[in-house]
Amino acid sequence: MKKAQHTPHIPFAARLLERRDLSEDTTLFRIAPEEGALAELSSFVPGQFVQLSVPGAGEIPISPADLPAPDGTLELCVRRVGHVTELLHKQQTGARLGIRGPFGSGFPLREMAGRPVLLLAGGLGIAPLRSLLMHLLRQRSSYGEVTLMYGAKQPRLMLFREELTALAATGGLRLYLTVDFAPETSEGEYSCAIGLLPDLLKGFRFDAVNTYAAVCGPPPLYRCLVTDLERAGVAAERILLSLERRMRCGIGRCCHCALGQKLCCVDGPVFRASELKGIPEAL
Amino acid sequence: MPQIITEQNLRNLIDLLVKEAKLVVGPKLSGSVVLYEPLAAGSDLTLDALPRRSSKELFFPICEDILSYKRENGAMKVTDVDRSKFPETVLIGAPPCDAGSPAILDAVMSWDYNDEFYLERRRKSTIVGIACTKGDDACFCRAVGLAPDAEGGSDLFLTPLKDGSYACKAVTDKGQALVAAHQNLFADGAGTEPVPFVDQAVEKLDLVKIKKWLEEHFEDPLWEKIADICVGCGACAFICPACHCFDINDEGSTDDGVRRKHWDACGFAKFTNHASGHNPRDVQNKRYRNRIMHKFKYYDDKFGKTLCTGCGRCIRACPVGIDIAEILETINGKED
Repeated sequence: MKKAQHTPHIPFAARLLERRDLSEDTTLFRIAPEEGALAELSSFVPGQFVQLSVPGAGEIPISPADLPAPDGTLELCVRRVGHVTELLHKQQTGARLGIRGPFGSGFPLREMAGRPVLLLAGGLGIAPLRSLLMHLLRQRSSYGEVTLMYGAKQPRLMLFREELTALAATGGLRLYLTVDFAPETSEGEYSCAIGLLPDLLKGFRFDAVNTYAAVCGPPPLYRCLVTDLERAGVAAERILLSLERRMRCGIGRCCHCALGQKLCCVDGPVFRASELKGIPEAL
Repeated sequence: MPQIITEQNLRNLIDLLVKEAKLVVGPKLSGSVVLYEPLAAGSDLTLDALPRRSSKELFFPICEDILSYKRENGAMKVTDVDRSKFPETVLIGAPPCDAGSPAILDAVMSWDYNDEFYLERRRKSTIVGIACTKGDDACFCRAVGLAPDAEGGSDLFLTPLKDGSYACKAVTDKGQALVAAHQNLFADGAGTEPVPFVDQAVEKLDLVKIKKWLEEHFEDPLWEKIADICVGCGACAFICPACHCFDINDEGSTDDGVRRKHWDACGFAKFTNHASGHNPRDVQNKRYRNRIMHKFKYYDDKFGKTLCTGCGRCIRACPVGIDIAEILETINGKED
């Protein structure tokens, strides 16, 4: 399907409104895109991504951590890890940024309606899944049971912890938190399991036949979770994976994000596990 | 009615086109190598060697600005490139392996979003192709379905004749218009015998069979065998008429700068590297496999075309002697 935009390479202006540190290296940035960007951004579907420009450094693909707010502002959860994010993390409120998008395909919400949804997030993988989670909770009655299993390396690296706990307290979300390990000093302080995500999944009883699973996390996580989910009875068509690739142009040409004949920026970043079966380098 | 143009008139045509303020690009001796470069006059045209790099850079430059940004009164002003200023261009003297490449690349440049940089240059260009009589033992255009006299991609096609003149065939309306506007340089007639083509060592390959093998052998000992020696220099991609991957980078300060699109190569180790350090193609043979897969399977799956014109440049340039034609012959000869 040909997109109507004539200049998809030109970013709209955006202003940094607010920043909130979530951990030692990860910050939630709230940005206000200029008015011209809002029509396109309002079409955002959880799982899609935007290209964020940091003048002087370049562009990075970021999957927003929530749907655009009614005033058009957007939350981006970004870890300081490369030269663009390094400069972004130095920006103060009011800084001038750029944004284009949204690009790619998000989660198949229409198809998921009425079904239970199991979200599996590892580390920073919570960021793209948070936009899906917020959507599900806002349209709570349109979906079945919503469960989030979220694993982080250790308690202090767990993002959105208080917020997620508060959401779970309202009764609309079943929340399971786990950490790979917890330093001794934190014993008794955190009520979460110690172990890996697949361990959490192992003891979990759910309506596998009807459930849609949404997975995002570090690369080694996918292969292992897809196997476990399929073993539990979730069909590969309903295992939705949000993949990370080095998406540069965002519009299907530069080839950096190719997985076999598919392109993460156009065909993804959300793929069904069934689509990736014949593509050995995908997972 | 067949027409011919003498070599002198071909050079005169270039002089006229330059006078008409067109950008005329053709093979030209540049230092010690022949490259596609702007011709200042007909005498610059050199038709006795295949240019070192392909002519794709005429439509898809090695490096180009795609926008500029500047902080003005506190706001960041982003300015698009004025593509209407791209010059009317005539590419002259491109053999079929180069003249044919834009017709392959059009598909990827206009499938999901249009690449207005590439497409504007395409709209403003006329390609004068020439039958190839200068092939060497690295050439394998016949093997991938082209031929030294294939007109595909050319607007006007020249065939060298034994008396030094060229038989002309207007392949498209653009070619017809070029001839019509300079009719006095062309003469009616079929001319003498054409100069014979050079034989090619590689026979025609069964591209369907090769694609099928690739589909079934993503994991195969062949990849390690042929590609563990690849040094990842990217030369094969940079001189290829069909490779089209690129990177985008900003140059400048936080207040003032440009965003540039520039060629990249899937053979580079960091091509797929994530900021997190994870690299989906972590070893060199996986990168080389991607090169073969993209050219002979993925591009065909997506656009129904092979992403190779058989020019042989990658074979000539590879510092460790990787021979793509030999690899294709190996796959073509496999039993299963």
